[in-house]
Amino acid sequence: MSPRELTFHIFRYDPETPEVKPHTQTFKIPEEPAMTLFVALNKIRDEQDPTLKFDFVCRASICGSCGMLINGKASLACKTLTKDLPSDITLFPLPAFKLLGDLSVDTGTWFRDMSVRTESWIHTDKVFDETAQEEKMDDDLSLEIYEAERCIECGCCVGVCATANIRPNFIGATGINRVSRFMLDPRDKRDEQEYFEVVGNDDGIFGCVGLMACDDSCPIGVPLRGQLAYVRRKMAVAGWHRK
Amino acid sequence: MYLQKALTKSIRTDFIVEMVQMVSGLLLVLFLWTHMVFVASILLGQSSFGALAGFMDKYELLPVTVVVLIFIFAAHIGAIMRHLPARWAEQKVAWRHAKMIRHKDTWSWLFQIVTGFGILLFAFIHIVAVTYGGISVSLSKGRIDNPGFLIFYAILLLMSEYHASVGLYRIFVKWGFVNRHRLDRVLGVVTLLMLVIGFVTLGVFLTLKVAGGGVA
Ligand code: HEM
Ligand code: SF4
Ligand code: SF4
Ligand code: FES
Repeated sequence: MSPRELTFHIFRYDPETPEVKPHTQTFKIPEEPAMTLFVALNKIRDEQDPTLKFDFVCRASICGSCGMLINGKASLACKTLTKDLPSDITLFPLPAFKLLGDLSVDTGTWFRDMSVRTESWIHTDKVFDETAQEEKMDDDLSLEIYEAERCIECGCCVGVCATANIRPNFIGATGINRVSRFMLDPRDKRDEQEYFEVVGNDDGIFGCVGLMACDDSCPIGVPLRGQLAYVRRKMAVAGWHRK
Repeated sequence: MYLQKALTKSIRTDFIVEMVQMVSGLLLVLFLWTHMVFVASILLGQSSFGALAGFMDKYELLPVTVVVLIFIFAAHIGAIMRHLPARWAEQKVAWRHAKMIRHKDTWSWLFQIVTGFGILLFAFIHIVAVTYGGISVSLSKGRIDNPGFLIFYAILLLMSEYHASVGLYRIFVKWGFVNRHRLDRVLGVVTLLMLVIGFVTLGVFLTLKVAGGGVA
């Protein structure tokens, strides 16, 4: 069987040269066995257009830098096999993030801001004793925390979220998932009211309209729907108690 | 900390508004379904419908319902405004976004906004018509015999059942009560059922021969 010819329709825009309007450019390449979009994009850049911008680091679904819209669906380009796609492939950068050019967006600034606003660190007044033995954690609990920690900050859930696209301060499903991780952690001494101040508002859980685009998109399979519901219920209880 | 935040006494507002949105939505669904059962009483015969209409009349339930309903509508609309892509630029982003990511639930939200405003307009006309026209078998039949009104009711029925079913679906999903896809199925069936009852009722009204008139 002769290999398929793949036709890529790739979004092109460089904010440095605004006189060139945003457009999609078409590239054709022959498909190879076990080809990922990572391989395909590099081939296009090497052989056809060295100015094409896109991000990759780990090419193994670990670093989270290659999120993009692949035929409309947000996912990691490095783990997407071309054989799972039709021969016409449209690539767009993730919405909601600052566009650096073509398929490259700045997720770092967004995630840093979200981390600061959700206060993503263990809040405790215990002084760390480096000589003491580490405290044990229950296995089930550590697994539950790990479920949320698996997020690789690719931003797919933020890119597809309608709310995040129209409300720049919304912390998104990844932010709410992040908070759930600290809520579970017994070392974090924040009480429900302190969490309420962080996420019990329209920039947090009550800004979410429940369209579940995030849940349908997470390439790592973080159970976002469950995490959103967990935080929503906790915050409803906290809101009820609050005077 | 920001000055405006420091001066804000209650940070519970967003939570309360979210609750108002949900409770008003649920009350409207409850109303919608009760309303359907009442109207569908014509399926049991003209005397059942007449009796219900008479009962509403006797205890002045119509004006009470209308006033309560207007309050619930107002609460619902007030609460949902905060999530809406209210500015023109946001509208454009929302529609373009739904097209770009081709995501069913995201479309359903936009349709919910459209049907919501459609219901607002249509329900207003409907409420004015029944408040000033009154309700009885012959009066209701008289309205439905008018092809304009018939189409009007069919559209109102479709819009409200769609809106209510998507709204319920999202409430359940947001709070994580049930499995997403099974729920989709269940609500689809309920909505279909309501639509069938609704259309059969309209059909019965159309073919009705008013026997001795209603109560009014
Ligand atoms: C028959 C009357 C109506 C019923 C049964 C109904 C029911 C509902 C329900 C159950 C929800 C979900 C609430 C939630 O997610 O917490 C909802 C949401 C919504 N409703 Fe209605 N509603 C009605 C009338 C209206 C009207 C008149 C409008 C607009 C003017 C409207 C606009 C909306 C919008 C935009 C949403 C989405 C809100 C969001 O998720 O951000 N609805 N409705
Ligand atoms: S939750 Fe999933 S989609 Fe969102 S940033 Fe983390 S890994 Fe990416
Ligand atoms: S469910 Fe909430 S967080 Fe997820 S895409 Fe929808 S609005 Fe965004
Ligand atoms: S390159 Fe690291 S996740 Fe794709």
